[in-house]
Amino acid sequence: MITVKNLSHHFEMGKKGQKTILPVLHDINFSVEAGEVVAIIGRSGSGKSTLLNLISGFIRPVSGQIIINHTEVSTFTEAQFADFRLDQLGFIFQNFQLIPSMTAYQNVELPLILKGMPEKDRQALTKQTLARVGLGQFHNHYPSELSGGQQQRVSIARALVLNPPLILADEPTGSLDSETEASLLDFIKQLNQELGITFLIITHDKEVAKIGNRTIELQDGKLIEGGQLS
Amino acid sequence: MTFKDKIKFVRQNMKKNRMRIFMTVLATAMASAFLIVLASVGFGLHDTLLKDIMEQDTINEISIYGYENEAEYREINDQDISYFETLDNVRSVTRRNYLAQAIHYQINGFELSNEYSESQFVHFPSEQKAGMTLAEGDYPSKANEVVVGYHFVDQLLPTGLDPEEVYDEQGNRNAGTLFTEDIIGQTLSFEIEKYDEDDNVETKAFEVVVVGVTEEPSREWAVDTTIYMSELFQQEIEAFTEARNGNPYAFEVTDQEAERTYEIVKIYTHSLQQVEDLTTHLSEENYYAYSVANEIRQINMLFSIAKAGLIFIGTIAVLIASIGIFNTMTMAVTERAPDIGIMKAIGANPKTIKQIFLLESTYIGMIGALIGTAISYLISFAVNLGIPLILEAVFDDQLPEGLKFSSIPWSLVAIAITICLVVTIISGSRPAKKATQIDVLKAMRRDI
Ligand SMILES: Nc1ncnc2c1ncn2[C@@H]1O[C@H](COP(=O)(O)OP(=O)(O)O)[C@@H](O)[C@H]1O
Ligand SMILES: [Mg+2]
Repeated sequence: MITVKNLSHHFEMGKKGQKTILPVLHDINFSVEAGEVVAIIGRSGSGKSTLLNLISGFIRPVSGQIIINHTEVSTFTEAQFADFRLDQLGFIFQNFQLIPSMTAYQNVELPLILKGMPEKDRQALTKQTLARVGLGQFHNHYPSELSGGQQQRVSIARALVLNPPLILADEPTGSLDSETEASLLDFIKQLNQELGITFLIITHDKEVAKIGNRTIELQDGKLIEGGQLS
Repeated sequence: MTFKDKIKFVRQNMKKNRMRIFMTVLATAMASAFLIVLASVGFGLHDTLLKDIMEQDTINEISIYGYENEAEYREINDQDISYFETLDNVRSVTRRNYLAQAIHYQINGFELSNEYSESQFVHFPSEQKAGMTLAEGDYPSKANEVVVGYHFVDQLLPTGLDPEEVYDEQGNRNAGTLFTEDIIGQTLSFEIEKYDEDDNVETKAFEVVVVGVTEEPSREWAVDTTIYMSELFQQEIEAFTEARNGNPYAFEVTDQEAERTYEIVKIYTHSLQQVEDLTTHLSEENYYAYSVANEIRQINMLFSIAKAGLIFIGTIAVLIASIGIFNTMTMAVTERAPDIGIMKAIGANPKTIKQIFLLESTYIGMIGALIGTAISYLISFAVNLGIPLILEAVFDDQLPEGLKFSSIPWSLVAIAITICLVVTIISGSRPAKKATQIDVLKAMRRDI
């Protein structure tokens, strides 16, 4: 599902003339098979988010290749990557990233609108997906009127609604209490088993990482342990 | 994303800041109303002027003032007249000459000096075909019969009357000075002079009978005091003076001047279009041809320039309003940056983002332009109603009927809306571009 080859990244900081280079990822190689749940673990600042942002196309790698679902994405233009994200990727963020002026229903419907789906088809699909995450009663609630766990479910519904083969999650439980965390992890497991969706989950928490069939550890920008080591 | 969804999305976004959107639309509406009303004056006065021209009797006529090529200039002669008559679409060719002497007419105890009246030799059949109509009487059938203009009678004064006594203190004609008898059948007597080289004068008395009076000219201010004489009578006078048109100085006349030519030649067609075509054609053939077509062309050119100038000034107002649109859109993009970041993250194409913002500024421009159009129709109506009243009150004078100060044709509305849309799209394009450049990660960290 995902193949990362010789991926390196650094950030350039400071003004022109006195630039400093902050290396973040060094020659990363790994792959994720379809149907897997893979956890990337590492200390804060080890480069986990950077790795996921590269795979998501939010930033572009300095060098290396990223192949998702047999498609080389590292050479995409911004517009191509946007279309690819809409089609192939679902996202779960630490702080949910729901649009505050839209109801739960509207937030989940948004990807369908972007896809250009007609209103009739959207309705059924949105309702069905909200029901699936257990929020059938909360269509007209705004994010501010929902608990953290409920908001994260809305964001999962939004990630699911176009039925992507792969969902990327950056610290999905980072803003949740431990009880909510557990039920969310169960739910992810369930989605993986029932729908066969591949998950790549980032966490700094060893407990959370247990959800993975496999764990990859990042330390100072290098893969040091996990499935395929470089 | 479908167009319908984009519109819906834009409308939802606009509702989030009604006051700001309202003020921006208001500014745009005022600017476009300013543009339309300003330019409408150009359109209104142009219309009024053209309408005025179209109502003239002269609309279907072409005046021919002569012929000139590289070699010579000459007046219009019988050959030219025959040629004109062979041309397509020519209804009639009239030709007139002035009686070349100052004549003092006597008519039944009244008199008329030539200062107030012209005597013309005309070809009645062609005049008739050209549209000369009589209010009374008939066309001449004999040499000594004439037709007089509608206002001819008004020019007659009792013989030997002191000019001081013609009008009373109010400026009205004193009753006794008016010629009240029927003019038809009256005899006009006058003398024609003839000089030799030594300035010896010979005179001969002539008499003509009035058999017809022309119709009142259609334009209120036009005055027709002409005495229309036939070509037969012309020959009688010429037989005495031995020079064309009763010229009293036969001894001075050169060979070239001796040829029969016409001072007033007019070609009549059926329509303005034919007038235009024929005027062009005759000009190309070296005739001095003048018609209202020339006048209309000049007026059109003048007003095109004036309208363009007014629209240009109006456009400046729209440009100023567009600063507001630019501002509103920039603020909208900044405010919505977090939302845009999220949308981009889940897969919104930058093109879609750009279209949404362009659509929003276009929407503002469109509504502004439409409201502005409605307002300008109201203002235009008020102006056309109010200004004549004000002018009449101030100048105590009746304005010509059908005078229109402001007119808003569809073309002006189309121009104004187009200008508005182009300007708003341009002013919205930078903010829209900025929206596409929003960095997903920065936006989601909410530190934009
Ligand atoms: N946009 C950026 N510009 C500069 N440095 C960055 C940027 N994003 C992350 N970093 C740095 O890269 C390193 C890795 O960050 P990150 O990938 O967020 O780590 P993690 O998610 O594992 O905590 C950190 O030192 C961080 O400060
Ligand atoms: Mg992180």
